[in-house]
Amino acid sequence: MIGLVKAEVRKLFTTRLWWIMLLVMLVLIGVNLTFITAFAGVTNEAGGGAALPARDTAEWVQTAWSSGSGGSIFVMILGVVMITSEYRYQTVTGTFLTTPRRRRVIAAKLITGALVGLLFAVVALVVVAAVVIPATLLSGGELSLSESRIPQVSLGILVSTSLYGLFGIGLGALVRNQIAGIVGAVVWAYVIESIFTAIPVLHPVGKWLPGGAAQALMSIDVDTGLGRPEWLPAWGGALVLIGYGLLFAVVASATTVRRDIT
Amino acid sequence: MTAIEIRDLAKSFGSVKAVDGVSFTVEAGSVTGYLGPNGAGKTTTLRCLLGLVTPDSGEALVDGRRYVTLPQPVTEVGAVLEATSFHPGRTALDHLRILCAAAGLPDERASESLAMVGLADVADKRVGGFSLGMRQRLALSSALLGRPKIFILDEPANGLDPAGIEWLRGFLRHLAHDQGAAVLVSSHVLAEVEQTVDNVVIIAKGRLVRQGSLAELTTNGDSAIRIRASDAATLAPALEAAGAAVERVEDGLLRVRGMDATSVGQIALDQRVVLTEVTQERSDLQKVFLELTGER
Repeated sequence: MIGLVKAEVRKLFTTRLWWIMLLVMLVLIGVNLTFITAFAGVTNEAGGGAALPARDTAEWVQTAWSSGSGGSIFVMILGVVMITSEYRYQTVTGTFLTTPRRRRVIAAKLITGALVGLLFAVVALVVVAAVVIPATLLSGGELSLSESRIPQVSLGILVSTSLYGLFGIGLGALVRNQIAGIVGAVVWAYVIESIFTAIPVLHPVGKWLPGGAAQALMSIDVDTGLGRPEWLPAWGGALVLIGYGLLFAVVASATTVRRDIT
Repeated sequence: MTAIEIRDLAKSFGSVKAVDGVSFTVEAGSVTGYLGPNGAGKTTTLRCLLGLVTPDSGEALVDGRRYVTLPQPVTEVGAVLEATSFHPGRTALDHLRILCAAAGLPDERASESLAMVGLADVADKRVGGFSLGMRQRLALSSALLGRPKIFILDEPANGLDPAGIEWLRGFLRHLAHDQGAAVLVSSHVLAEVEQTVDNVVIIAKGRLVRQGSLAELTTNGDSAIRIRASDAATLAPALEAAGAAVERVEDGLLRVRGMDATSVGQIALDQRVVLTEVTQERSDLQKVFLELTGER
């Protein structure tokens, strides 16, 4: 199994997509952090409260820190591509000739997808830390791990980003068409999940989706102006995420094992 | 030793019977040509053999076992299927190193195998820039990684230039005759394999139409022996007396049917006639092929 994971890691790092995804993730997180930092504590002209808490508060640290979850979609796309490029370029033939026990191939891909997710999450967190810690200290804030919930948010980012790798692999195995898989992943993450997690009326459904469950795991407790969302408890979010991970793993395996490769 | 055994294999895709009750064997140390027109079921047979397609019924075995049950398949069977099965953005060496990792083989095998097919110079080039012939060589080198003793190649000559085909012929003969490997090679172009194969299996519309050695196939029932003799007038009646059908082509030249060359020679010796030419007339293999596959 170690050899198979090594093969999957090589497949990913011998093509260019991974660093393109990493770069785009860093740009996105950078833009997000710039926005969160620049508009921290700024009150609007109508005299209402600030949309974002001030930089010296624990709430701001928590909000800024959670932008490290921006890598999920890119890990999911990599997961989709890990499966669909095998069909697109027919390398799946060589893969299954070398390893005819296909479940082992899928297992290796799932492990690799999770590892890549972990890697992306670590990179994201390093960048976030490099911006947020100086920003809050320079603004006169104190860095309190317990009040800003940095460990919990970080753990949530690590776990959820990893699992998005599995989601991508499951989706890829299901659709097998690369473009359809990537479009599906983007639509899912940016349209469907955004709607269900942003609009309070839809929260009863949204909290059961992977995005909502990831939020629950991070226990982000900041009013974004649309009302305080009612997430699942953190452990519930973890269970839901793992459930999705298992579901997608089963989907990936079931759709691949008996298929004729022609 | 039987390296490959196909027994009553059948596979349908929808209502199309791609392979319909095919049986044949391939022995170690020989090259077997698996011939048939496009769409005859060659690729489906090979993919059943390699565990990529699940047959509806029958068996396809390598070394007496199903491919999917082999613990280290690439060390027993080297397969070349399509020339297009590479990621264009990956280098040739990286492609092989991935397979090495998956098969648990040392990484050195990758560059060794590239050298064996003459691709050492382009090891670090992306496959996207390769010609079809180079891709075929790369595919062949991936089959060599595990140093197997059984080779299964689907249309390996596709896209090769004449020099490449000549190289491939030599390479396949070397694998079978010098290294004792069993080689099963499919083709829809008879001329590509005619000079390489020892045995022939011909398939058409999913059904086996002929199996045998190349010699058996070309010297079928109506083949004749051309004989030039010092005294044809004496020899001809003697041959006829022994049961052969003799045609007097011209002065001193006979065409003999229904008798093998050994018997002809023996009778000539008995009659004290000097033979100046004995030629086995081979029927045109291409003609046989077209007749058998119903393409004519």
